[in-house]
Amino acid sequence: MTAALELSGLTKSFGKTEIIRGVDLSIGKNERHAIIGPNGAGKSTLFNLITGRFAQTGGTVSLHGANLAGKQPYEINRMGLSRSFQITNIFPAMTVFENVRCSLLWSMGYKYSFWNLVARSKALTEGAEAILEQINLSERRNLPAGVLSYAEQRALEIGITIAGGADVIMLDEPTAGMSHSETDYIVELIRKVTEGKTLIMVEHDMGVVFGLADYISVLVYGEIIATGRPEEVRSNPKVQEAYLGEVLEAEH
Amino acid sequence: MELILVNLIDGLVTGLLLFMLSAGLTLIFSMMGVLNFAHASFYMLGAYFAFQISLALGFWMGLLIAPIVVGVLGAGVERYGLRRVHQYGHVPELIFTFGLALLIEEVVQFLWGKNQMAYNVPEVLNFTAFAIAGNSIPAYKIFMIFISIAIFIGLLYILTKTRVGMIIQAALSYPKTVEALGHNVPLVFMGVFGVGTALAGVAGVIAGPVLGTFPGMAFVLGSIVFVTIVIGGLGSLWGALVASLLIGWITTFAKSYNILMSDILNAVGIATPENLDDNIFRDLWTITSPQIADILPYILMVLILIFRPYGLLGNRDA
Amino acid sequence: MSTLSNTTASPLRAGSMILPAAPWIIGALLLCVLPWIFNNNSSITIMNQMWITVIFALAYNMLLGQGGMLSFGHAVYMGMGGFFCMHIMNYVEDFGVALPLPLLPLFGGLFGMGFAMIIGAFSTSGSGVRFAMISLGVGELIAACSIIIVAFFGGEEGISGDRTYGLPFFGVEFLKQIEVYYLISFWLLLSAFLMYLFSRTPVGRMANAVRDNPERAQFLGYSSRWVRFYSFMASGFFCGIAGALFAINYEILTEENLNASSSGVILLITFLGGVGFFFGPIIGAIAFTLLQTVLSLETELWAFYAGTLFLATVMYFPGGLAGLLMMHVPIFRLGNQKKLIMPYLKTLLPGAIGVLGVAALVEMIFHYRHAALGDNEMTIFWTTFDSHAILPWVVVGVVTALALYITKTNAPDLYETWGEANTPSGGGK
Repeated sequence: MTAALELSGLTKSFGKTEIIRGVDLSIGKNERHAIIGPNGAGKSTLFNLITGRFAQTGGTVSLHGANLAGKQPYEINRMGLSRSFQITNIFPAMTVFENVRCSLLWSMGYKYSFWNLVARSKALTEGAEAILEQINLSERRNLPAGVLSYAEQRALEIGITIAGGADVIMLDEPTAGMSHSETDYIVELIRKVTEGKTLIMVEHDMGVVFGLADYISVLVYGEIIATGRPEEVRSNPKVQEAYLGEVLEAEH
Repeated sequence: MELILVNLIDGLVTGLLLFMLSAGLTLIFSMMGVLNFAHASFYMLGAYFAFQISLALGFWMGLLIAPIVVGVLGAGVERYGLRRVHQYGHVPELIFTFGLALLIEEVVQFLWGKNQMAYNVPEVLNFTAFAIAGNSIPAYKIFMIFISIAIFIGLLYILTKTRVGMIIQAALSYPKTVEALGHNVPLVFMGVFGVGTALAGVAGVIAGPVLGTFPGMAFVLGSIVFVTIVIGGLGSLWGALVASLLIGWITTFAKSYNILMSDILNAVGIATPENLDDNIFRDLWTITSPQIADILPYILMVLILIFRPYGLLGNRDA
Repeated sequence: MSTLSNTTASPLRAGSMILPAAPWIIGALLLCVLPWIFNNNSSITIMNQMWITVIFALAYNMLLGQGGMLSFGHAVYMGMGGFFCMHIMNYVEDFGVALPLPLLPLFGGLFGMGFAMIIGAFSTSGSGVRFAMISLGVGELIAACSIIIVAFFGGEEGISGDRTYGLPFFGVEFLKQIEVYYLISFWLLLSAFLMYLFSRTPVGRMANAVRDNPERAQFLGYSSRWVRFYSFMASGFFCGIAGALFAINYEILTEENLNASSSGVILLITFLGGVGFFFGPIIGAIAFTLLQTVLSLETELWAFYAGTLFLATVMYFPGGLAGLLMMHVPIFRLGNQKKLIMPYLKTLLPGAIGVLGVAALVEMIFHYRHAALGDNEMTIFWTTFDSHAILPWVVVGVVTALALYITKTNAPDLYETWGEANTPSGGGK
């Protein structure tokens, strides 16, 4: 069966500095896969390589078997891959409802049309309402997105990411900066909205990782030093030495 | 051969003048990310102030005092105007400097009227330095070259060899870090804006007698300065120098040699149409290089923006 | 379906689902009725100019306000559309083609759009400084070329034509200004309505999204570059319509229509009116045209006042006049507008007198410096006096100082009342 996302020999250098030093990773369909690693390991760079923000220096990235080399981010998005950002990246001047509705436009086939009025389309409105329901922001639908609280904005971010119907969802530190209860809430949300989809997540919160992920990969200095089921990774001595160590003891 | 030398000198004068303007603009842009649309207006103010001062105290006092006045004015604009608008984003900043340019032009007209001022070359420099093949080179032009080069060297020295220069260079790239280190970055900003506009003022003081001191002078030179820094690469001082000289020489040579478009087209193998007056392309055929000399920089800029968007020597943050 | 209870945006703001018909009907009625109220020729001429400027400003705001793209050379699209139409008019006159005049703006629009497609092909890959610089360069280039390419642009004299060239359109030959007025009004309503609808289409909505966050828009499946390109094309289309109407109205088009001045003016107008609201440019165009035509009769310094107003707008109310107006909406919604009446009177009235006083002083200084020798008399505010005498200066100076002082004293009170008026009564949320 074709992997949902396949990285093979992936390298990335900025000038002489090699950030990603040969990553091989295969993520299957409907898998929930977490990527962890110390700061500076290259997790965000990896994300940017996969989503087309940076060009690969070497190696390949394949989505459902199709090579993503040279493709623009919007092309990759149309192929079924969507991502969220570490720093909240919504449209602050538009209302919450608008934010979600814009995320639906392409997937509903509207493209660059200037002959439909978005307000007239029942499909768009109902679709947006449904997403708002899922992320629990129906009450706030008419507020400018910029005035939402941090956690609400993160929830909106997730909503925008999944709205387009992509089947490979990449979330970049979705619970960053959240309190305990907010984290639980977001985790439940993620679990709900990624049913039947492939999820790739970068996270620092070990509780979230071990609670949500089917598989974990550990990225250290641009290389994957371990990958597998959570229990295997947790007990892997290399991982413990390089990364988890006391952190793991503290968590559990 | 001698004509080439004359053109080289003329082009150098223009280029160095342009550089004085674009250097200040580049400093301001690198530091604050603001493209100061009103930069040429400070150039104009320099000329007018110098003229006014020279009426009472003579040309040399004007040369000394006018740029300082302009610089102080510039610092004031930064402190009380630009800083306020900065919070609204880059587009309002651009619009602010644009409005400022309009206002300064109106104020100048208000104070001095619409006619050209009798701001002349000082007597002591008003002679012919030497002649090349029958073309006389005025001493004033040599003076302009010297002043420009002196300022350039001074600028280079301050930026690379003094402590203040180090701080400025650092603040150019990482203002927040420099601030965290205890330096008064807002003061640095104000100072750089003041120095940048003072440079424009100096250019005005020395160019006023030659290019004319009238309310439209900012407008005439304004857009060329922008073209210069775009071609050189936004944020690069060396790029500004290269681009200024390039533009100075290209426009001078184009004006002085009467190259006909029809000759070029003929050389490529396209024969001149017979009935040129009725032909729709008649204008294309009758183009001569002096005619398009002034728009060559714009053509160059558009080409560069298409093929080399960061300019000749620019860096990626444009 | 749409709950308005916690809406802070008004129906006229981009983003709501309601398409209010009322403003359009009122607008249409006003357009029809105005020439009956102001029925002398000069008023109609001014109104014609106003409406043409409104179309141009709305088209410009498609880029500036909706798309976040600052263009410094936008007059060329209006100018090119105008020149093209001028040539069509002359062609029809020479060769007797049956093209009715009312259809001409359509061709202007198509030409403007075509031209925008050429330039937009390379200019829209960026949206910030790079876009602004290319627009500046192209604008200057075309304006300079217009002197050189005499065949198309007519050189220094421009191109002129005759709008009564063709067959009468249902009996109307468009000889009279009033007939041209109704033609312009028709195209104004049509263009404004189409531009409004455009902002509600997928590409119009995405233009807003790309303005706010071009990176995010990419991950919604949209190429930011293409969205900007389509906005640019659409803007060029409506600019061309404005150009065609200009050609019809003035029957002459010159290099002035293409140059940096005209581009600068439209930026000023749009920003003054307010870029954040659809109707902002409409207000800006009307206000500026009035300033330009009416004020320029009173004083030579009108451009100085316009520049000051512009700068004040950027510094103190960057939302423009529309923004100022809309600031009052929450207050009206809370029913607190009566609270503002007294503070407004106490602060704005002296403020207005103070501003007029400063203007008087400026006029007096100007007259003192620049009037011809011996011409000591000047007239402002219906009073004639000698500008070289001391008394007028003292009077104006004292009145101005007093007015400004009163304004300053009353201003804090206004601030307080404003804050109160914005607070929902009976406890907040």
